[in-house]
Amino acid sequence: MGFLWTGAWILVLVVQSSPIQAFPTPEGSQDKPVHNKELSAERPLNEQIAEAEADKIKNIYSPENKPGESNYSFVDNLNLLKAITEKEKNEKERQSVRNSPYDNKLNMEDVDSTKNRRLIDDYDSTKSGLDHKIQDDPDGLHQLDGTPLTAEDIVQKIATRIYEENDRGVFDKIVSKLLNLGLITESQAHTLEDEVAEVLQKLISKEANSYEEKLNKPTSKTESQSGKIPEKVIPMAAVQDGFANGENDETVSNTLTLTNGLERRTETYSEDNFEELQYFPNFYALLKSIDSEKEAKEKETLITIMKTLIDFVKMMVKYGTISPEEGVSYLENLDETIALQTKNKLEKNVTDNKSKLFSAPSMKGHEETDSTKEEAAKMEKEYGTLKDSTKDDNPRGKTDEPKGKTEAYLEAIRKNIEWLKKHNTKGNKEDYDLSKMKDFINQQTEAYVEKGILDKEEADAIRRIYSSL
Amino acid sequence: MAGRGGRALLALCAALAAGGWLLGAGALEPGAPAAAGMRRRRRLQQEDGISFEYHRYPELREALVSVWLQCTAISRIYTVGRSFEGRELLVIELSDNPGVHEPGEPEFKYIGNMHGNEAVGRELLIFLAQYLCNEYQKGNETIIKLIHNTRIHIMPSLNPDGFEKAASQPGELRDWLVGRSNAQGIDLNRNFPDLDRIAYINEKEGGPNNHLLKNLKKIVDQNAKLAPETKAVIHWIMDIPFVLSANLHGGDIVANYPYDETRSGSAQEYSSCPDDAVFRSLARAYSSFNPSMSDPNRPPCRKNDDDSSFVDGTTNGAAWYSIPGGMQDFNYLSSNCFETTMELSCEKFPPEETLKTYWEDNKNSLISYLEQVHRGVKGFVRDLQGNPIANATISVEGIDHDVTSAKDGDYWRLLVPGNYKLTASAPGYLAITKKVAVPYSPAVGVDFELESFSERKEEEKEELMEWWKMMSETLNF
Repeated sequence: MGFLWTGAWILVLVVQSSPIQAFPTPEGSQDKPVHNKELSAERPLNEQIAEAEADKIKNIYSPENKPGESNYSFVDNLNLLKAITEKEKNEKERQSVRNSPYDNKLNMEDVDSTKNRRLIDDYDSTKSGLDHKIQDDPDGLHQLDGTPLTAEDIVQKIATRIYEENDRGVFDKIVSKLLNLGLITESQAHTLEDEVAEVLQKLISKEANSYEEKLNKPTSKTESQSGKIPEKVIPMAAVQDGFANGENDETVSNTLTLTNGLERRTETYSEDNFEELQYFPNFYALLKSIDSEKEAKEKETLITIMKTLIDFVKMMVKYGTISPEEGVSYLENLDETIALQTKNKLEKNVTDNKSKLFSAPSMKGHEETDSTKEEAAKMEKEYGTLKDSTKDDNPRGKTDEPKGKTEAYLEAIRKNIEWLKKHNTKGNKEDYDLSKMKDFINQQTEAYVEKGILDKEEADAIRRIYSSL
Repeated sequence: MAGRGGRALLALCAALAAGGWLLGAGALEPGAPAAAGMRRRRRLQQEDGISFEYHRYPELREALVSVWLQCTAISRIYTVGRSFEGRELLVIELSDNPGVHEPGEPEFKYIGNMHGNEAVGRELLIFLAQYLCNEYQKGNETIIKLIHNTRIHIMPSLNPDGFEKAASQPGELRDWLVGRSNAQGIDLNRNFPDLDRIAYINEKEGGPNNHLLKNLKKIVDQNAKLAPETKAVIHWIMDIPFVLSANLHGGDIVANYPYDETRSGSAQEYSSCPDDAVFRSLARAYSSFNPSMSDPNRPPCRKNDDDSSFVDGTTNGAAWYSIPGGMQDFNYLSSNCFETTMELSCEKFPPEETLKTYWEDNKNSLISYLEQVHRGVKGFVRDLQGNPIANATISVEGIDHDVTSAKDGDYWRLLVPGNYKLTASAPGYLAITKKVAVPYSPAVGVDFELESFSERKEEEKEELMEWWKMMSETLNF
């Protein structure tokens, strides 16, 4: 029953995120309708789940469902799945937790070979930008082996996260958000709690088992994590307290015994993380540079953030929502951006790393430079200043002109003054400034003489006329 | 007796003849002293400050200076270079902000007298400059609007040396050839780099048909075959983002448009350019206001002339007769400028008395053609920050000829009425296409804001961070 709701809100959450922005792709169109299309393409997920599990369920179905309570079509599916969970859960847990680092690592390696692919390669300068298509799998989430992602897996992931965070707050936040959005009712929220608690319980017990195996893994991070343990234990207890059902006793005891296991588990995870984080040089450098003692919490947060983000991307890639290249691209971008963000946060402590953080791997658009850009540069040079080059000719005097033209010039000047007096654009007729005009004329005639447009004599004549006005 | 009387008679006749000849030629010898010139001016027709007479080089200069002096606020004189014999190639510019290219304001030019003995164009352009100044001051709204919204460049003579030679000939002896070429004997209208050939090759093998002049330095500056006048004009064309232009000639009466050279190499063959429709419209805009040009019943200038290609006073250049290396096609194929060639008179160097009539016949055409620059589509190409993108390409779907944006990102694309798709593109930017409905006039404003590749990448990064933020809030990281 609980899986029902859990799965429901997970899927709703996933689906809800799409309209805001589907996972952006390098060739993502800005076209909103396309995103909505994706959204609607993902909706049938529940149907997919129904189809996929229908067969299994036929054999294992146990009637525990409460069908009358919801509008969600997940209801039936999740009820049916609950029965399966008992059997399959442990296997899956181990798979999802243990295999994921390896799988993802493989993924990362695959992804790595395309890491150097630049965004620019996806653009063909001869094509319009509007032609880009979205390449992701419109069918939704799939596991690597092609089977659709079950509601159970989703529940699993969330429970895992809560567990890793050691923070009940995760759950609370999600639920309150869903409640606010009106996606679930109070009773559904309660049921959800139950389910999550159940899954969490299983996780803890599983960890207890795996702890024995991992006991010998040393790590340099032991000390750094040690300070965190008391903090972690307390929230863990709080989490346990929060659960409604009578699982508290078990979980509490489990928790206490698992303190070290928790630590180990986190360490292990961190180690894996750090290996992965190699691929994020900026981030890695940042982490290294953080003073572990003072900024342990910050470091922790950072690691968690990055780790989760990487997981998300990996999952998306794994489930085919985005292509590996896109995933790499985004992680690249994130590397820079997160490094920047955290740098701002830790500015006092990491001033040394500023130079590292600001290494900008992103390409500029120059890779599209071709001969037309050269030509453009040439053209621009030729255009030169705002004024054209018509003024740049060599000066040269001309032969004497007959003085008769003085009359013509006089006439022309007279007309000019008359017109200027009438049409003074500055407003008042009285304000017409003859001296300004004279200056201008002097200047211009000089220039014209230099360029050979006027002779000296003519220029003098003109200036004389103006000065006599 | 007969001998003495005969000699006296002969002398008298000679004197009379000489006198008559002198009288006849006197009117056309402006080399006379200015005083005489002054008298001449009063004698001949004068209207509103425009003296309808031939201007030799000094008078040409004087006339332009007078226009400038009268209209200092809206005019400016400059020179694009010097002729072979050192005469300045003078241009008078008329605009509300002379000397300055105002972003978005189209540039226009008239060039006359590139064949020195084809004199009508030269004179008409001097008259036009005076007319525009006069009308502006009289408050003629059409003219005021034109001058405020256009930057008009008028070059009365591209071949002042040739004109001097032609004008020095006594009236009767002025012929079809003397003074046509420049002082070096180069026919300037065959002297431009032959870009038509390149365009035709590109048509067959694939390639552009605009901005074909690549290596300015090599092909122009270092080219010994180009006349100084030709070089000066080429630099002028490359320097100023001209949109529309006309080249005035004489010897026939017709408005001629590209291409001037046949594709096949034959002597006569209609060779349309991609903007054939636009050019026919432009040519008609001139010819329709010129009574003799548009007269369907006008007899050909010479009895055996073949003007079969003339339609409504217009003709495709190559359909009339093929020429290589002309200035008109050079404009179209090397720059954004559309140029046509106007043949204005059957006689290349007609008698001075006819100048007034030629002015009357062409006055409205000249203004009408000027107004054609305000047609089609125009606007700016900028990036998302509002910075201009110079040399962006503006292409029109269905017309295989692109124009480029000028230094301020401004562009002008002459088009006949219709619905078009315009695409603006530039290296490093995502191209944008817009649909435009173009009326006859005025020009429709269409601006483009191009997003650069790096901006798009930034956007996507931001999108991812948004998504991440949302997710992390939900899951409380």
